[in-house]
Amino acid sequence: MKTSYLFPHRLKTISGILFVLSFIAFVSFYTFEQYGNFEYKAKVFAIIGNDGFLGKNDFFGWIENSILDEILATIVIVSGIVFAFAKERHEDEMVQSIRLHSLAWATIANYGILLFCYLFVYGLPFLNVLMGAMFSQLLIFIILFRIKMYRFYTTTQNEE
Amino acid sequence: MKNNIKVQRAIHNFTQQDLAERVNVSRQTINALEAGKYVPSTVLALKLAKLFEKNVNDIFELEDTD
Repeated sequence: MKTSYLFPHRLKTISGILFVLSFIAFVSFYTFEQYGNFEYKAKVFAIIGNDGFLGKNDFFGWIENSILDEILATIVIVSGIVFAFAKERHEDEMVQSIRLHSLAWATIANYGILLFCYLFVYGLPFLNVLMGAMFSQLLIFIILFRIKMYRFYTTTQNEE
Repeated sequence: MKNNIKVQRAIHNFTQQDLAERVNVSRQTINALEAGKYVPSTVLALKLAKLFEKNVNDIFELEDTD
């Protein structure tokens, strides 16, 4: 069966490596960044820009911003999407059904976690929840799908 | 849904790998089919029937739970 939305299999390894590395870098960036020691300022175009919590919103203008996190987020999202939706070594209908199954469960689990956090996390720490929510569904999907595919490939039951 | 792919495969003397290559799926998929863990698409069911020169009904059978 033909599917049009999957990326070529040859991109899988490279995007997988890139995803893991950039994800670790992204998480450590947000863990250690608070002293502003990883800043790389540049002029960026902003549809909506705002410096600080109480500043005025600027619309459609150029603002100064540290762009390291933007670069990392771009790599995480692009490599994550390519890795998650790259063709398998032998793409067939059962792989598709496993993919759909994982995607459905990832969505359910993701919104379960989000609802839990929405109800039990308040104040500023909730910003961290929102930050995590940007990547959680993709991450949960990738983990679930990889586990299921690992089990699928290592089906030991062989010929009689 | 029950199937007798394993029997048909034995009659035609195919390994799981042979059968997988002929209908263009992975060996694991054939394995899951034989174990009753996966219900194939109509296209795959028809391909298997054509390969075994049988009617689809002779290979696949509905169960009470379906």
